[in-house]
Amino acid sequence: MRGMSAKNRNRVISTVGLVGGLAIWELIGQLELSPAFPPVSAVLAAIVEVWTSPRFLDALRESLISIAIALPPSLVFGIGLGLVVGRYKPAEWALDPLINTFLSLPLVALIPVLFLIFGLGRGSILATIIIYTFFIVVVNTAAGVRTTDQEVVEMATSFGAGESQIMRRVVLPSALPLMFAGVRIATGRAIRGVIIAEQVIGLIGLGGLVQRLGGAFAVEDLYAVILFIGLFGLVSMEAVTTVERRALPWVAAPEDNEPAFSGA
Amino acid sequence: MIEINGIGRRFNTRDGGSFEALKDVNFSVNDKEFFSIIGPSGCGKTTLLKMVAGLVKPTAGSIEVDGTPVVGPGDDRAMVFQSFVLLPWADVLTNVGFGLELRGRSRKESREAAAPFLERVGLTRFSEHYPHELSGGMQQRVGLARALAVGPDILLMDEPFGALDAQTRQLMQEDLMRLWDQEQKTVIFVTHSMDEAAYLSDRVLVMDTHPGRVREILDVPIPRPRDESVRRESVFTELTAHMWHELRGMMGDPTAPAPE
Repeated sequence: MRGMSAKNRNRVISTVGLVGGLAIWELIGQLELSPAFPPVSAVLAAIVEVWTSPRFLDALRESLISIAIALPPSLVFGIGLGLVVGRYKPAEWALDPLINTFLSLPLVALIPVLFLIFGLGRGSILATIIIYTFFIVVVNTAAGVRTTDQEVVEMATSFGAGESQIMRRVVLPSALPLMFAGVRIATGRAIRGVIIAEQVIGLIGLGGLVQRLGGAFAVEDLYAVILFIGLFGLVSMEAVTTVERRALPWVAAPEDNEPAFSGA
Repeated sequence: MIEINGIGRRFNTRDGGSFEALKDVNFSVNDKEFFSIIGPSGCGKTTLLKMVAGLVKPTAGSIEVDGTPVVGPGDDRAMVFQSFVLLPWADVLTNVGFGLELRGRSRKESREAAAPFLERVGLTRFSEHYPHELSGGMQQRVGLARALAVGPDILLMDEPFGALDAQTRQLMQEDLMRLWDQEQKTVIFVTHSMDEAAYLSDRVLVMDTHPGRVREILDVPIPRPRDESVRRESVFTELTAHMWHELRGMMGDPTAPAPE
């Protein structure tokens, strides 16, 4: 691998890992140890058919609609509350126990409660996505706010900045990197949340499809759907990272850049 | 003229007592004077500077600028910080214009107005770089340009070259002196370097510690313009030797004669 850039070498190693994993999966499948492990070749063969079937596309549309309704307001209000909690001590004292409780609760346990409140439909699914994502955004945004360099606040004050200018021009940009981390995690959790809620409550969407395929022992089809969900999560989070890199050019740079210029 | 009248500052301590950081500080700084404050760590010199900036309130006494009491930050004063304190998310030109932006100008206007000040510190070609791409000396030039851009009468400099290496520091001192010759602003310059204080200043306030107070105010009888060679003149070396004598006495050096 000599003469290869570090980036290309990493790609080669990742590919080797992936191919190796698939080969082991294929081997186990071919041994027919368990109906739970069909050979990967059978799953890959099922993918094309499953991913283009109307049943799958309907389910996908249902899940996407739920995420599209629930995630954006969850992010917006989560960031808003996170800014307040991070900046104002009384808000932190008042809300920290509540937020931490929600973060440590196994949320599946709450689903029956949501079901009682919102009934057997999309309402409960939306509520699940929101409680899966809201608090993690609040906590990350608040942590981002707390990384604000007090010297920068003092500098801005010395140039006459008021509280709202400090909030917009100093605190908000300081909080952005961790805020983006919160959004990235929340995106992954929204996908997890919608699948779990659909499985438990709705029997609609991709979660519902997974449940039905599992019940019918359609293992190859089931794996095709699960693979899609996994890939979808990966691509979504990667998309957030791409936006983040574009929006925050100063964040990644210091690690791989020595100062480009030296001298006074 | 800046007048410091009977300034004191007490901090409450955790055990319910209080600690006197500054006590009965009196002095005044003339218009267009280069005035340095030197003293051992913990003598309250930075606190004093922040009081003039309007960032810290005294618990006793008052500060007046041209007869008007200082109650907070104002357009007539701008500060330069030891650790530069640039916005990491903004490029150099936006950083220089930041003070103008906070005073209500648009981003675009501020950047346009900032450009000549960036030129004055010799960094025009770095206007679109980010601070982390610049050396410490360059970052502090940006900090200086940011302060100059708001057009203050008074520059408050808090150990501005303290975080720089010795060579960069010397270059920055020379550049600052040249700029000050052109700008003719009042400067209050906090430093712990005797050499720096003597080289740059018209007068040097030597502070005593525990509590922080005025020990003496020294004239620097070296004609301007000054250049590198003044550091070797006897008046310069005598002045720094005198400062060292005063300061080492305060620093608890047992080999120093007790300050009388």
